[in-house]
Amino acid sequence: MTAYTICVFTENTIGILNKITTIFTRRRINIESLTVSETERKGISRFTIVIHHESREAVEKLVRQIRKVIEVLAVFGYLNDDIAYNEIAMFKISTPIGAKPLDIETINKVHKAWVVYWHLTYVIIQKTGTEQEIFDFFDYIKPHGILEFVRSGRVAVSKSPQTLVDYLPEAEWEYYQ
Amino acid sequence: MEFNENQTQPATIAAQPEPATTPELINGSHAVIQSLIAEGVTTIFGYPGGAIMPVYDAIYDYQDQVNHILVRHEQGAAHAAEGYARITGDVGVCLVTSGPGATNLVTGIADAIIDSTPMVCIIGQVASHLLGTDAFQETDVMGVTIPITKWNYQITRADEIPEIIAKAFYIAKSGRPGPVLIDITKDAQQKLMTKPFSHKKCEKLISYHPRLSPKEEQVAAAAKLINEAKKPFLFFGHGVQIAGAEQELLKLIEKTDIPAASTLLGLSSVSVDHPNYVGWLGMHGNYGTNVLTNQCDLIIAVGMRFDDRVTGDLSRYAKQAKVVHIEIDPAEIDKIVKADAPVVGDAKKVLELLIPLVKENKHEAWRAEFAKYNAIEDAKITQPELAPTTEKLKMAEVIRSLSDKTKGEAVVVADVGQHQMMTARYYQFKKPNSFITSGGLGTMGFALPAAFGAKVGAPDREVVTFIGDGCFQMTIQELGTIAQSGLPVKIIILNNNFLGMVRQWQQLFHQKRYSFVELQNPDFITIGKGFGIDGHTCAAREDLNASLDKMLASDKPYLLEVIVEKEENVFPMVPTGACVADIRLE
Repeated sequence: MTAYTICVFTENTIGILNKITTIFTRRRINIESLTVSETERKGISRFTIVIHHESREAVEKLVRQIRKVIEVLAVFGYLNDDIAYNEIAMFKISTPIGAKPLDIETINKVHKAWVVYWHLTYVIIQKTGTEQEIFDFFDYIKPHGILEFVRSGRVAVSKSPQTLVDYLPEAEWEYYQ
Repeated sequence: MEFNENQTQPATIAAQPEPATTPELINGSHAVIQSLIAEGVTTIFGYPGGAIMPVYDAIYDYQDQVNHILVRHEQGAAHAAEGYARITGDVGVCLVTSGPGATNLVTGIADAIIDSTPMVCIIGQVASHLLGTDAFQETDVMGVTIPITKWNYQITRADEIPEIIAKAFYIAKSGRPGPVLIDITKDAQQKLMTKPFSHKKCEKLISYHPRLSPKEEQVAAAAKLINEAKKPFLFFGHGVQIAGAEQELLKLIEKTDIPAASTLLGLSSVSVDHPNYVGWLGMHGNYGTNVLTNQCDLIIAVGMRFDDRVTGDLSRYAKQAKVVHIEIDPAEIDKIVKADAPVVGDAKKVLELLIPLVKENKHEAWRAEFAKYNAIEDAKITQPELAPTTEKLKMAEVIRSLSDKTKGEAVVVADVGQHQMMTARYYQFKKPNSFITSGGLGTMGFALPAAFGAKVGAPDREVVTFIGDGCFQMTIQELGTIAQSGLPVKIIILNNNFLGMVRQWQQLFHQKRYSFVELQNPDFITIGKGFGIDGHTCAAREDLNASLDKMLASDKPYLLEVIVEKEENVFPMVPTGACVADIRLE
């Protein structure tokens, strides 16, 4: 199974999430993670969807099917090597009186993670990185007692020198050069 | 909310100039009808109900401009709109209420999307303040229809109506056509627009750009393969008819002398008399077309999508051949069969550009191969089917007889099953745009309402529909619609008291275990008469001629029931999972 990151640019309208995900459902492709938010262009949303699949051909077909949704402006499928990508995770760590103190220096300098909220009995640490880096930190911090953990979907930017404006919004549907 | 302070733009509202005079404002319902009229709609197939009543109230004022046809079930509206759209090339329009009205349309919408039929369905919805509350007759129609519409949209404000309807028609008709659904809340129908009505046709969308003109290099690559091929074989599908590319297709096959075969929905685009026409493809298609698919060196596929009923087992499908795939929908390229030379574009535009690039050629020896196989099929299947010695009539002779009487020029609508395959095999299509059937979805019950819709769209053409006794009972109530219209739709029930195609499969693949396929049928003629439609039953070979003549001579709708052989099979046949070259003649 290979990880593919699919970036979809759509009009920001009600129901568009449903219109996109139903294509995955129909082809029985599970969505590993999903991030959606409006882009720097008003009214245009960007979906970043991570899937695992053994067939590149099937992913290409999926991409072309997504492109058929009327509200979709562009779709790109990427392998991990094609993109810079990250996730964000938050850890609520138990810090009762008398417990082993947190090594903030290691957390900051080695794991590039930051305490974003303090409470008497816990702290919230935010860690940005790849899935692997987040789970490395997870293993490191686990002995302190994780009260709550959440991980976002992936956000990704292609390594291609072209910018979004090169593709949108008047870009033609260019699959067959 | 301080954290996003820096990201939020202050809302700026541009000052609107005051209109000099106060124009009359109309409500959403009138806007719906006026927008439909502005889009050139003259016919609506519909059924009223609670949530669409404001629009029905408005339509009362426009009866001189719009012909609203009251169907008997919303599924009938959808199929009638499909029949209308298929014969006219215009967008078929349905108007129904929320909840069950909308869900009854679903089969027709699913049929329309898989057969690329342009349709706009306008659906009433509960008032916007009731959305999501399980209100009376509320269904999440948007959710239900996402996978089966080309586009759907829910209108909650009267002001949106003209723009959305314009967009709906543009999307339904352009590119690869398909159904569009517009869900309009009752309050949006009732409220006055806040600005004067104006309808501007949609010509372009930010996100949707169907490619009509192909890329020159793609056309050149296709021409190169065509010019190099020794045994080229052209397949044409529904796309040819949708694009109106019949003349261009003829020019191409005549210049290159390439043999051409049709898909089910491509039938009638090339006359059966044409020397380059070699038959049709697929499960019950012709012998030679299937066998030689696996011997040609180039497939030129025009406006077709390699349905599994055409390809049979893909792993053994035309592996020796290169493929030129001319198709307007890029998602179809490489979906089933890998294309060596894909050409994305409208079939007519592509063929226009392709014709000057292909060399004149002769493929007499190659075409003779088809004739060889056709002779075998003719002797083994076609002739015995057309001149049977059975006591009862056979479907083939009925269909061919009608074909002869209508000179192959009628609009023929077939329902789904054995009689559909027999119609495709034995009606001798000689005029383009003459065959309407549910190809992709295989919707039983399609034909009666679709034939009616076709007759509405083409009142000057003879419209005859072949329907099985099983199919007929799925939308039988549309006899009422036909009777009320008085339009002379000619209905032929080929009655074998069986769900024939399922029975055939049970015979061939399930050891004759006839599981729930035999029907105890009503007296169809009495039912027809109950609806006010005249008809009679033909049970003997010697009566067939006179029966068909009587039906054709009627200037009213007419129902002819023909009792046919109970257990006949459609051959040739490529069984599911078999390779096209292994097509069975018995």
